[in-house]
Amino acid sequence: MKHPGKFTRHALAIAIALAMPMTASADAAYDALKKQVEQMQKQLEQMQDALQKQETKVKQVEENTITRSEGKALETAVNEASEWKDPNTLVHMSGFASVGYVDGDNQDGSFVAGNFSPIFHFQYKDMFMLESEIEFEVLDDGETNVELEYMTIDWFVNDYVALVGGKFLSPIGQFRQNMHPSWINKMASAPPGFGHDGAAPTSETGVQARGGFPLGNMRTSYAVYAGNGPELVAEWDGSGFELDGIDANGKGADRDGKKVWGGRFALLPMPGLEIGVSAATGKATVTSIEDDTGTAPLLVNEQARDYDVLGFDGVWHYKSFVLRGEYVKSEIGNATTGNTANAASSEWKSWYTQGSYQLPGTRYEGVIRYTDFDSPSDNKDQEQWAIGLNYLFANNVIGKLTYESNDGKTGTRADDDKWYFQLAYGF
Amino acid sequence: MKKSMIYKTGLPAAVMLLVSLLLPMSAMADHYPPGNYATGAKVWSQNCGRCHNIRDARELTDSQWYTTVFHMRIRAGLTGQESRDVLAFLTSSNKPHRKSIIGAVKVSSSSAAGKADGKAIFNQTCIACHGGDGKGTLPGAPDFTDPKGPLAQSDDVLIRHITDGFQSPGSPMAMPAKGGNTDLTAADIKAVLAYLHKFTK
Repeated sequence: MKHPGKFTRHALAIAIALAMPMTASADAAYDALKKQVEQMQKQLEQMQDALQKQETKVKQVEENTITRSEGKALETAVNEASEWKDPNTLVHMSGFASVGYVDGDNQDGSFVAGNFSPIFHFQYKDMFMLESEIEFEVLDDGETNVELEYMTIDWFVNDYVALVGGKFLSPIGQFRQNMHPSWINKMASAPPGFGHDGAAPTSETGVQARGGFPLGNMRTSYAVYAGNGPELVAEWDGSGFELDGIDANGKGADRDGKKVWGGRFALLPMPGLEIGVSAATGKATVTSIEDDTGTAPLLVNEQARDYDVLGFDGVWHYKSFVLRGEYVKSEIGNATTGNTANAASSEWKSWYTQGSYQLPGTRYEGVIRYTDFDSPSDNKDQEQWAIGLNYLFANNVIGKLTYESNDGKTGTRADDDKWYFQLAYGF
Repeated sequence: MKKSMIYKTGLPAAVMLLVSLLLPMSAMADHYPPGNYATGAKVWSQNCGRCHNIRDARELTDSQWYTTVFHMRIRAGLTGQESRDVLAFLTSSNKPHRKSIIGAVKVSSSSAAGKADGKAIFNQTCIACHGGDGKGTLPGAPDFTDPKGPLAQSDDVLIRHITDGFQSPGSPMAMPAKGGNTDLTAADIKAVLAYLHKFTK
């Protein structure tokens, strides 16, 4: 071969010349690939970030979301949260209070703190309830008077009988047992004869059975009781005794050893109408003397005397109109034997009728009441017309403006006309 | 003396004992039949107002109503069954209720009533307070017979009032949601509303 080395060099040169563009082409592909990989890596990172954010969001949603069953459990827990935990024993407080202003013919107008009367209920299942009302009252001299209005343990024997033991509101008539709370009484005052030491007994210490039962299409309610009975108060006028009043505020002891028993039966022939009759009988004895002279003789071996009460009451309720009336007579019999502060018989009687009407579509309520109270003492006899205008802030928060026109013995408090403003709150 | 004592103390005690024993005894509360909502609404509306203004059915919690109703059983001479009925009504009125959304329940003239019996629902749930004549039995209850009264409003508004409960202007108390009967369905409410409209015709 001639000049083989020269051929080789030429071939090599040609190969290199040909290979050079190919190398350049590979570099471009590599760069493109690299760029693509980097882009994909970037996209992957973005996707990872997005996924991370999504996971965080899902976690947040999971944390902030409850299942249907969890929601139901929560709803149940909320519902039960306000309820007493032990269903066998319940404790509850209610009651009433009033404040106001009173102005009379022969007295300076005064702001009055009325009374504060919390009522406590402690109940065991459907069987027993302890209930008690305590009355706090600010007196004229600023002292506070505290009185246990009632305290009973009630045993719900069955659907028709509850046995009640302790000091209870007298079941004679309606006013003392149901109407006396200030947020219920539509007037700012009690009708004469139905307050303390009036014609109607206020409370009794003893035992009673009460309840209600159906009678055909009608309903009935009843109360039968036996208790320590009242005591009598005699007043010494310097020359002799007269019976000043019957203290029928449930006594803690039976100091004359004579029990009193009685009760009330009411018929409800139709919705809204109730007619009741009450009676009580027993003995009562003079146990205390009111004496301004300091000359009264001591009472020795005072004899018990007959004590009888008779009452009638009725109420008719139609929509926002309520008409009610009540009559009660308490009588002390003659003293025929032994010692007595006053031998003559005496009686206290009172009756009232009251109408009230709430104007339709408003919270205003008008009230009118007539009362006639007779007692053995002329100083306490009273005939009264009372009119009132009430505003119901709520059914249990009532503003009352009451005017009493009183007719009694001239110069006595029973003859003073009065204005009342009262704000009563039942809770 | 002894004879008098027996008369004065033994007689009332014997009467009370006799009354207690003669009437059916059942000291176990579990044996008492449950209260009935509709009867309870009737007892509540017919008795409470005789002595005092009727309190709002949603004013107290269930446990507070429980003791209150037993207190009133003593005061008003209610029977045990009447007390349980009133409790059923009051606790039913207390059940929580989700507020309806305006317009969520549409009423069309063709869909009104459906299969539900509006009159039967009214007589069971509403009649105690609104009365059989629609004029209301309680202070503050509206007069449905008044053409310019509450029924003059749109059905959407009325359905919302029935569903959520409503206090009429000037009324001292509110009607509980669904009148206290939480079992009422949307169809029941449509049906009872259709029945209410008959009072204005």
